[in-house]
Amino acid sequence: MRKKTKAVLWVLLLVVLVCYPQIFGIYYTNVFVTFAVFALFAITLNLLLGYSGLLSFGHAMFFGSGAYGTALALEHIKGCPLLVALLFGFLAAVALALILCPIMVRVSGTAFAMLHLAFGQLMYVLALKLRGITGGEDGIGGFPIPPLSIPGIVSIDMNNPLNFYYFAMTVLLASMWILWFFTKTPFGGIMVGIRDNANRVDYLGFKVPQSKAVIYLFAGGFAGVAGSIYAIFQNLISAEDGFHVFVSFAPIMMTMVGGIGSFFGPIAGSAIFGIIEELTSRYTERVELVMGLILILVIMFAPMGFMGLIQIIKEKIFCKEPGQKQSEEAIIEEAA
Amino acid sequence: MSPTTAMYVAQGIHGLAYGMILFLVASGLTLIFGMMGILNLAHAAFFMLSAYFCYQVLVMTESFLLALLIAPIAAGLIGVMLERFLLRRVHAFGHIGELILTVGVSLVILEGVKVFWGTESLPVKVPASLEGLISIAGLEYPIYRLFIIGLSLLILGIMAGILYKTRLGMVVRAAVSDADMVNALGINVPLVFMFVFGAGTWLAGVAGVAIAPILTVFPGLGDQVGLDAFMVVVVGGFGSLGGAFLVSIIFGLLSSYGVQFVSQLAPVLMFIFMAIVLVIKPMGLFGERE
Repeated sequence: MRKKTKAVLWVLLLVVLVCYPQIFGIYYTNVFVTFAVFALFAITLNLLLGYSGLLSFGHAMFFGSGAYGTALALEHIKGCPLLVALLFGFLAAVALALILCPIMVRVSGTAFAMLHLAFGQLMYVLALKLRGITGGEDGIGGFPIPPLSIPGIVSIDMNNPLNFYYFAMTVLLASMWILWFFTKTPFGGIMVGIRDNANRVDYLGFKVPQSKAVIYLFAGGFAGVAGSIYAIFQNLISAEDGFHVFVSFAPIMMTMVGGIGSFFGPIAGSAIFGIIEELTSRYTERVELVMGLILILVIMFAPMGFMGLIQIIKEKIFCKEPGQKQSEEAIIEEAA
Repeated sequence: MSPTTAMYVAQGIHGLAYGMILFLVASGLTLIFGMMGILNLAHAAFFMLSAYFCYQVLVMTESFLLALLIAPIAAGLIGVMLERFLLRRVHAFGHIGELILTVGVSLVILEGVKVFWGTESLPVKVPASLEGLISIAGLEYPIYRLFIIGLSLLILGIMAGILYKTRLGMVVRAAVSDADMVNALGINVPLVFMFVFGAGTWLAGVAGVAIAPILTVFPGLGDQVGLDAFMVVVVGGFGSLGGAFLVSIIFGLLSSYGVQFVSQLAPVLMFIFMAIVLVIKPMGLFGERE
């Protein structure tokens, strides 16, 4: 029975996603793509923050290097296929994570957060100063966006927003699914184990630094995918959009507002942020004021984030222990 | 003295003055973040708010001394209210809760400032008695920057005196290292924490007033200093006043000499310095705990 409801929910989600552009029109389709990009970005951050207990103040550097990787590939390689460009973004972020992980697996807590801040700022300044490669403040823009083509079979024009929406959704959903699957593997269990008691995991015979490095590569690489899609979507990437410290802070806030303890929390948080921005910017110019007040209210009255709030409400309504899974499904509906 | 040496000395004074202002902000953060362990991202907002208070007092009374007295105290009082009514309640949720709350508070302060004073930068004049240059050993120094250096040293002295020589300082240090025990001894620890938070905010406020005549007053005033002060506390080591002092001066000199010698890389010199320190000593230069 439960499996059946689950399957029905997934199908429902897919139907909603497919029909979304037809119902809401082009403007909200673009809003939705931005939301989905940041949802994936926040999920990769939550892999570090929620699952591994590592707060990072510089997650934007993976987002940015993914974006720049893709943009540079499309700009300089003639006839570079779309998926290869995407791969370049992913690999750029993975390479960065690979360079950093020997240092990062050794530290935790504040040192981890601040080291990321340091390297994040380093990347930001490099993107600004290496004018010849990155275009400085102007960034890289107007690069050609190739069609998605399987040779001899089909070629889909990506400049059509509708086609791009389906492409972006496929990539982002696939990435989210891989990450979700990743957290459900035994390895995901080790990840949580390291967060709660690294010594014990070490005594059990698992290699803690190496495991941390693998998690780090996953988090970095898929943040790169998010950045990569973002760059193609905007057809522009600048240091401000890719590497600025606010880009690092946004997913932290989204994750916290959504709820740290759950895989779907960051998605909810990203949706909440998107909706608030959409609504408040319609009525007032003081978006930040509303955002600040909401953050204060969230932590005062719903400290476990949106997912925690749902949990509490469900407990009040049903008066019984609802499992984690139940509320996860609620969020899928919510997010769709 | 040759012009080159004169230039080096002048750059050094500029660097020291920025380092001292940074130290004033960072010493407040050392109290709040380093000692009490509250991750306060609104610290820079208080710095900026105090600069606006300074502007307001100057508009109303035209006395810089009065501004230097009133503005930091006003900022400190708002800090006390933040601790009493908001931060205290989220302390149970750890750093994450404090992070959300203080980011929210700093957004509200920033927008509030924009509503009251607008977004353009407001000029604050250097008081007449501190204007101009003074000539020592054949070199000319701007008096106001020397005044900042003197003021910071005075405050460092007073703070170190209170923290390490008085009964009050002893209670504060004890409450920070083991709150439950001190509470059990009959000392009102929440009151002590509220006082310490207020003092930390006051220090940021003093720095805000000190920097107002140099940079003018605008909403983004605290961005750079706030980030730098955080790095100072982490690199210097949690709760170490001496570490914060040393690193502030290093950062100040790095920024002023960096612009002179490697202007392309100047913005990242501090980050590189921090990265090197943290890779070798994750607890910071003089830190005893994480």
